[in-house]
Amino acid sequence: MRAHHVPSAELEVLLDPDATAWKSAGGEELKLEGTPLGMQLTAHIRAAWAGRKIGSVEQVSVAAVHDGQVLAFRLEWSAANGGVEPSDNHEFPDGAAVVLPSSPEAPIITMGAPGVAVNAWYWRADGEGARHVVAEGLGSSRTLDVELVRGRGAWKDGRWRVVIARALRVDTPEPIAQLEPGTETGFGVAVWDGTQGERAGIKAFSGPLWLELQLDAVPETTR
Amino acid sequence: MVMDLNKCIGCQTCTIACKRLWTRDEGMDYQWWNTVNTMPGRGTPRDWEQMGGGFQDGKARPGKLPSRRDFGEAWEFNHEEVFHGGKGDSVHLQVKGEEPDWGPNWDEDQGAGEYPNAYYFYLPRICNHCTHPACLEACPRKAIEKRQEDGVVLINEDRCRGYRFCMEACPYKKIYFNHAEKVSQKCIFCFPRIEQGVANACARQCPGRVRFVGYRDDEEGPIWKLVDKWKAALPLHPEYGTDPNVFYVPPLAPPRFDEKGDVDESKPRIPDEYLVSLFGPKVLDVLALMKSEMAKTRAGEKSELMDLLIAYRWKDMFGGFDRDPATIEWVKS
Repeated sequence: MRAHHVPSAELEVLLDPDATAWKSAGGEELKLEGTPLGMQLTAHIRAAWAGRKIGSVEQVSVAAVHDGQVLAFRLEWSAANGGVEPSDNHEFPDGAAVVLPSSPEAPIITMGAPGVAVNAWYWRADGEGARHVVAEGLGSSRTLDVELVRGRGAWKDGRWRVVIARALRVDTPEPIAQLEPGTETGFGVAVWDGTQGERAGIKAFSGPLWLELQLDAVPETTR
Repeated sequence: MVMDLNKCIGCQTCTIACKRLWTRDEGMDYQWWNTVNTMPGRGTPRDWEQMGGGFQDGKARPGKLPSRRDFGEAWEFNHEEVFHGGKGDSVHLQVKGEEPDWGPNWDEDQGAGEYPNAYYFYLPRICNHCTHPACLEACPRKAIEKRQEDGVVLINEDRCRGYRFCMEACPYKKIYFNHAEKVSQKCIFCFPRIEQGVANACARQCPGRVRFVGYRDDEEGPIWKLVDKWKAALPLHPEYGTDPNVFYVPPLAPPRFDEKGDVDESKPRIPDEYLVSLFGPKVLDVLALMKSEMAKTRAGEKSELMDLLIAYRWKDMFGGFDRDPATIEWVKS
């Protein structure tokens, strides 16, 4: 998939899923699959989800743009009850995340491994904003901050449209993905259907291997 | 902790002591880390004993998430109207909004059995700080810790992401979800007090001298004496497989009456099978032990067990955690 270069945009504008930038961004339909039961981390979760469908969202439409400074993903998927605010103990928020390798060897299937981190940009529909997360293995994720990644979701007519964005490069010693226009990176997508009790490792994801994202070079004229 | 159910009068002082100390922040209105319910009853949360969780044959057993309604919402009352609105003579105190259909201790004093052989007893409950905690094992984020130094089971709210697998897995349904903070919360065994040598608020405030505190392996303390030496205290629902560290001295009841109104010693007022369903088959041995020790004291003999349970010296109930909390300058961090 391509992350199209767009003219320098206000982040606030890009966060609007209806922004003009998204009209020309193209995008792809990604097939999602449920995370394997055997990879769920605890015996309790495996027992509770044995025989239950994991990954209720089977398809997500993904587009990406960058302006040389900020990379933004736009995810859109069908979610019949996405407008329902969780208010009881058995109700969970919908969510979505984009995951990127912090180093080329990081495996996506296990959310990284010790010493080779993955970097997730995570949005959740319960008004808590977006999180900047690193993980070095299943269950090890930690939130770095809640400022750098911006996310905004809009639910209408049975569909979520969510934009998740972050600066390409961030000055930090943390093992995050540092991105460069004109290069390629792996990426993956996960979607949680909270109305089906999906949370944590119970989710739909784009699969056990990294997908390719080609970040357009910044055209000479706009440099 | 050991709780002597023969002494609990259902006054809820423990419940309020805990509430005032720990669950007054946002999102905690409906949380009661300590509850006292009338037994037999459906309990708090409603029908919690039918919600699964824990372990069966050593394997994790799936459980249900109790709803807020199962716990009972924190009701709001028309205090303003009654006390300050000039309607004290015409309006009575009532819950605002929808009429509630459950709450903590909803079935107070209903009990079971037929007159004149009706029966009930009170069952105070906190987190059992289990040796084999289902909550800890269920959490995929390792957000729950059983402290090496004292066995207290704590949720780390910085690691908790509100997934509530712990709440599903806890067979005692003693974990609450805070919808404002989006984290799970539960009894912390008053660890800041314990660290300073002060017994838990629920124990220290109890007017009935129901609760004993201390380390299980302290042979000078009351817990070892009651649980291991005398084998007079048992965990609730041992079949849940979590190995609780809260133990109960089971309730004896007054004798039954027969049709003629005479005392009938042939069977107990509280059916044995009911107590076995709560505390396992060993409960019958405990009841027999208590009866024989009571008979000893009636005959003028000494009984260490009865002396312990009577708790002549209040501070002896706290296994060394008997420091006066007023001697400490507490700082909220």
